[in-house]
Amino acid sequence: MTVTPAWSGAFDRGVLEQVVGLPLEQVRDWAFGGATGAGVKVAVVDSGIDAGHPRVGGIAGGVWFDLDAAAEGGYVEHEGLHEDLVGHGTACAAIIRSLAPEAEIHSVRVLGANLKGRGALLQAGVEWSVAHRMHVANLSLSSKSESMFGPLHEVADQAYFAGTVLVCAANNLPGPTYPSQYASVVSVAARPGDEEMALAYNAHPPVEFGARGIDVDVAWADHGSITATGNSFAAPHVSGMVALMRSKHPWLTPFQVKAVLQAASVNSLAG
Amino acid sequence: MVPLPDGRGRRYGEPMATGSGVDAALGRCVEATRTLFGAAACSIALVGDDGANLEFVASDGAGADEIVGVTIPVGRGIAGWAAMSGQPIAVRDVQADARFARDVAESTHYVPTAIYAAPMLDSDGEVLGVASVLDPVVDETSDWTLNVLGTIAGLMAQVTLATARTTGPTDQPLSDLGRDVLQLVQRWQAVRPGGSA
Repeated sequence: MTVTPAWSGAFDRGVLEQVVGLPLEQVRDWAFGGATGAGVKVAVVDSGIDAGHPRVGGIAGGVWFDLDAAAEGGYVEHEGLHEDLVGHGTACAAIIRSLAPEAEIHSVRVLGANLKGRGALLQAGVEWSVAHRMHVANLSLSSKSESMFGPLHEVADQAYFAGTVLVCAANNLPGPTYPSQYASVVSVAARPGDEEMALAYNAHPPVEFGARGIDVDVAWADHGSITATGNSFAAPHVSGMVALMRSKHPWLTPFQVKAVLQAASVNSLAG
Repeated sequence: MVPLPDGRGRRYGEPMATGSGVDAALGRCVEATRTLFGAAACSIALVGDDGANLEFVASDGAGADEIVGVTIPVGRGIAGWAAMSGQPIAVRDVQADARFARDVAESTHYVPTAIYAAPMLDSDGEVLGVASVLDPVVDETSDWTLNVLGTIAGLMAQVTLATARTTGPTDQPLSDLGRDVLQLVQRWQAVRPGGSA
C-alpha cells in the first residue's frame, strides 16, 4: 500500500523537469562526501525525542515549552531531557542520525498533551533554535493559523539572517501553512524510494524539494518502529543533508545551502 | 449492501453511529468517506473544550457502535499525532506501533492494520478534530489518498462548525449536503470497473 502526500505530485509528472544549478560537476561529493555532521547543532522541533532509542543514539540536550497564561509571552520554558509524547520526534531524530551520525541533536518539544496554543509554542521553539545558534532546525509540523503568519514569518527571517536553516515539511491540506510557505525556509515534500540521500528540486514552488517519505521504516515510541508515510518524514532527510554540508563547509549561509541542495538534486544540470 | 472487509455489511439508510447532539450530517460524512476509500471504517473525533482529549462522535463501518462516545487523550495514537502536529499521516502497519491505542481498537472488535488520519482545521487553523480512515483499499500507484482525506477533513470541519451553530430546521441543508455526497459516491462506485454500490 503506497500513497503519496500532497505536493509529491509535483515531482511525479512522468519525468522530473530539469533545472539549472551551480556550475559544480561533483557537487554531491563536494557537499556531502566524507561528512559526518560533526560540530553541527540540529534542533528537532517536535513532540520530544526518546534519547534512549537505539536509532537515536543519545542527544545533546533538550528544552520544552508549556503554555502558562500568567507567564510573559504566555508560555514557560524548561531546560532538560524529556520524553517523546508520541514517537514522531524520535522518528525525525533517528532519520537525521542515520544521515549525520555525529550531529549534535537537540530536542525542542513544542507539542504537548494539549492542543491549545500550538502556534505560539511553535514560534517559541523556532526562537529558541535561533537564540541557541542551531545550524539546522527540523520542523515537521506547521500552522494554518492566519494569526500566526506574521509572527512566524518574522522569526523565520530572523533564522535566515542568523544562519539557522529551517527545514519545513509541506502540508497535505488545502491552502497555505506556515512556516513551510515562506521563501526563507527549505520546504520539503515526500517522494517514493529507498535512497535516503535522494533529492529532487521542484521547479514550481513554494515547495522546493522532494525527499524520501513514502513507506519509510521509522523509529517510534517505546523503542519501536513503524512504516509510515508523510511529508513530515521527508523533511528530516533534508535536515540530515544540510547537517552534512554544514559540517564540511561551516561558512555556508541559508541561501547558499539552498543553492547547493538545488545543484545536488537529481534533476539539476550543472550550469 | 455495502460490504465491509471483515465480511459484514450494513444497508444504506440504517442509522449511523453518532454521539448525542451530533448532526446526522457528520454521520453521512463518515459513511460517504468510508465508501469512497473502500475502507473498513471511518470516524470523526472532536477535540474537547479543554484541548486535552479527543471524543469520537461519529463513525461508520467496523466497530462504529463501540467507538462512538470513547474519549482518548490527545497525545495518544495516530489520530492524536494528526491533531498535535496539524499534519496528515498514513501508517501502513499500526500494530508495529507499541503505543497504538490497541485497547481502544480491541474494544471495538476491529483491530486495523493501516490508519490514515488528517486534522480537521477551522478557518483560523485551530484543530477541531481528526478524521480517521481504517484499512482503506487504495491503488498502489495512486497518489490521491492523503490529499483527498486532507481535503475532506477540512470540509468535515466546516460541517462541524455549521452544525454547532445551527439547530432545528436550519440543519436541513447540511443533511442534504451529506446525502448528496453519499449519492455521488454511490453513483461513482456503480459505474467504475468492477465496482458495486
